[in-house]
Amino acid sequence: MARAGTDDIATSSCGNSLDGKLCLQLESNSDCIDVLRSMVTVMTARAAMSDLRSNRVAIAVDELFANIAAHAYGGDPGKVEFETAIYSENEDQMLIFDFRDYAPVCWHGDIDKITSQPLDIEHLCPGGLGLRLIHSVADCCEHNVLENGNHWRLIFNIGDGENDECSA
Amino acid sequence: MNVALKFERNELSSNEVQLKVVGDVTIHTSSRLREQLKPLFTAKMKRIQVVLDQVDFMDSSGIATLVEGMQWSRMTGGHFVLSGLSDNVRDVFSLAKLDTVFEIEDSPAA
Repeated sequence: MARAGTDDIATSSCGNSLDGKLCLQLESNSDCIDVLRSMVTVMTARAAMSDLRSNRVAIAVDELFANIAAHAYGGDPGKVEFETAIYSENEDQMLIFDFRDYAPVCWHGDIDKITSQPLDIEHLCPGGLGLRLIHSVADCCEHNVLENGNHWRLIFNIGDGENDECSA
Repeated sequence: MNVALKFERNELSSNEVQLKVVGDVTIHTSSRLREQLKPLFTAKMKRIQVVLDQVDFMDSSGIATLVEGMQWSRMTGGHFVLSGLSDNVRDVFSLAKLDTVFEIEDSPAA
């Protein structure tokens, strides 16, 4: 991955996916979060997603990055690698976002279990709400505990007939 | 894409205040919104209106901050009203299943 001239961010375009894969490496406590959002905007435009669905994708990516920063790294600086690409499988296309962290704390939660609990308005916390938002907008959210960190994958189906008028 | 968050506060009466928010409300900026709202919660207001027509993006930390306002209204009997939500922000409230829990107006009354 090519370095881009600053200490906390590196970007490149690589890989064999449709239209090219975008890669980004940044610090978890970085003020470069807008770059992440810009990459989402580029990819959702390539996927011809509506503004509403593009915003939903941005929410999911934003929330996942925030969760890694806050819970995996505990607010301390740490490396996060981010890749996004459009993949084609048979006649289906998917917009995929991969996050890789090297945090000492591996997440062992169960997203389905957490998000299936009734919403407790009196004790609402951003972390739990963020997972609910991710779960409601992504077609699939995968998490793997690695020897030295975590891998997260968000998958958004393209052209699956999702109703932009709020299908969640 | 606004990183900075700006506010305009209008005293509509002695116990009614309007807070206009401009920018993205995210984990990086929601603490500033909380700083603006907290004094209002202790100022014996009867109605707090938060105008969001110039907020294009809001994440869970922004929503959680506004939930504090809703909790204030439940405790005090005051009205915590959100108005002028953009389609994107309204959609996030809907996804979080909070669109029916908040008092939401289509556009600012004043």
